[in-house]
Amino acid sequence: MTPLRRRGAALAAVLSAALVITACGSDGDDTGDATVKARSVKADNGTIEVPAEPQRVATIGNTTLPFIDLGGKPIGLTAESDSNVKLLPEDQQATYAAATILAPSADEVDMEKLASLKPDLILAQIPDAEFELIEKRLEAIAPTVFFGLDTEWKALAGGLAEAGNLTDRFSQQKAEFEGKVTKIQETYREIIDETSFVDVIRWASSDPGTFAIADIGCSEIARDDVGMDFPKAPAGADPLAWTSLPFEQISSLSKYDAITYPVDAKGQPTEPFAPVVETNTWKALPAVNSGRALGVFCPGNNSYGSVVRYLDSLASVLATLPAKK
Amino acid sequence: MTTLALRQDGPGTVTVPGPRRRLLGLVVALVVLVVLLVLSVMIGSTSIPPSAVWDALFHSSADIDQFAIRDYRLPRAIVGLVVGVALGLSGALIQALTRNPLADPGILGVHAGASFAVTVAVGLLGVRDVQGYMWFAFAGALVVTLMVLALGSTRQGSSPVVMVLAGVCVGAVLGGAREALQLTNPDAFDAMRSWNAGSIAGRPLEVVWPILPFVAVALVLAFVVAGPLNAMALGDELAVAQGVRLARTRVLAIVALSLLAGGATAIAGPIVFVGLMVPHVARWIVGPHQGWIFAYSILLAPSLVLVSDILGRVVIRPGEIPVGVVTAFVGAPVLIALVRRRKASGL
Repeated sequence: MTPLRRRGAALAAVLSAALVITACGSDGDDTGDATVKARSVKADNGTIEVPAEPQRVATIGNTTLPFIDLGGKPIGLTAESDSNVKLLPEDQQATYAAATILAPSADEVDMEKLASLKPDLILAQIPDAEFELIEKRLEAIAPTVFFGLDTEWKALAGGLAEAGNLTDRFSQQKAEFEGKVTKIQETYREIIDETSFVDVIRWASSDPGTFAIADIGCSEIARDDVGMDFPKAPAGADPLAWTSLPFEQISSLSKYDAITYPVDAKGQPTEPFAPVVETNTWKALPAVNSGRALGVFCPGNNSYGSVVRYLDSLASVLATLPAKK
Repeated sequence: MTTLALRQDGPGTVTVPGPRRRLLGLVVALVVLVVLLVLSVMIGSTSIPPSAVWDALFHSSADIDQFAIRDYRLPRAIVGLVVGVALGLSGALIQALTRNPLADPGILGVHAGASFAVTVAVGLLGVRDVQGYMWFAFAGALVVTLMVLALGSTRQGSSPVVMVLAGVCVGAVLGGAREALQLTNPDAFDAMRSWNAGSIAGRPLEVVWPILPFVAVALVLAFVVAGPLNAMALGDELAVAQGVRLARTRVLAIVALSLLAGGATAIAGPIVFVGLMVPHVARWIVGPHQGWIFAYSILLAPSLVLVSDILGRVVIRPGEIPVGVVTAFVGAPVLIALVRRRKASGL
């Protein structure tokens, strides 16, 4: 070996040792307790090793509100719309406000900020394509549990509870939900069997002069879990809610026995929907004239807590539904 | 029938109909427009029998179908009429003023000003309904056009070329600012989707009445400057020799076109193709006489808007396509076909 090569080999050995020492030091700084217990959870990105009792959870995309609803307290989260946050109970609003906002939307997560929070678990529900772009960077920061958008809300709640060690609260909420569904089915069996319903919606982003028939969202729960007769898109077709209908089609709602529409917590039509109830066409609908247009409060449809509040509102309006003439 | 042979830019000639034939064409265009107005009320995303349409207009009752006619279709037809008139005439004015067949009101920053103002209203001030942000659009269009007029005026007077360059520059700056605002405020972006596409759906008559006086004033101004613009088409020196006051004519034309384009944009959002295409067609029919071009544009442009809107209502029933999208689909092939069949129209 020439002197030059010897010097090169010695330099490489010193650098390697320095890298090993640096890596060891870095591990110790990031994880804190090297003996932390771990569990395995199944998610759409495989079987993930997560801390048995995660203490510092970051939520991305649609996991934020269901995780908070389960009693979780994320240290970092991607922002939810103001209108969604306002619908949360006060204690959950406080939890949301205490967390660090990682990004205005789920597709722009600030990785540096996320890493600085030193999370021990990351929960994410975003489009698959978006997750693929950030998967490795998230996993380099903390164990990451990912659910695709096609994960149904109940499965999502169960998965989040499992990963976040919140299964006790999850079991309570699930039992409460099932009890409410059963009670509505028993109390309003005749109405459920004999009444055709339609749920209508209008969002803040809806085009002027348009509304939609909501076959996704809260009324999906009334249809699929309670068994009420709400319209549904044919298999394989896009949801009805994705088609904006011009106001002149409000008259087509005449064929339904009863209509449900969105109201706020005080029972007033939501701000985006208010233009619909002000139209002459709405006022001329048989269901509206006979008191069979029911304002229902839907605080969310992707966690048991918010769905239970929806079921409470649904039960209260079904109690006021006049008999069919 | 008298015809006039005019030498064009190219080697060929174009025959231009005489006054009687022009008038006859104008009557035909008027009849077509009236028919389209009727069809606009008759045809929609729901099937309503003609008898119900007739009753809704002449034997009013509380029937639910009648509300659909009176509250949505009739206002929509009127909105289409006003927007079309304003877009067509403003397009004719800007092409005459700049002597540029590719010019439309957007080239002076009208759309950029309106869009920026609406973005500020929606994104920063929380304005959400058409009645609220239409005034921002109108004010934005007017302010930016006046700014472009000021930037485009040199010591030697106002130059169409400098004005167009100023309009493109101001439009680019405002476009960038608008994009930045929308990217940092997704709610604003969502709320503006429909407006950006250009739509006359869901606009009540309440958005038309306040704009109507401005459109009326602009109509008068347009015909006042029609003669001077004819002279200016021969060149500034010849126009001055004929007694035309160039600066006054340009200012009046810009005021008129900004009122028209600003009003139309405020109501319906930026519908870009109508103001570009219709004056071309008018010019092919009547030749380079601004008064006739203006008259034809006033009738043909609302026809294009209405036919596009009717198509947009029926092609994806029960949903709809915004008129701004359909005008491009309908208008572009027609314009290309005309360009291929006829020689470029002179200005």
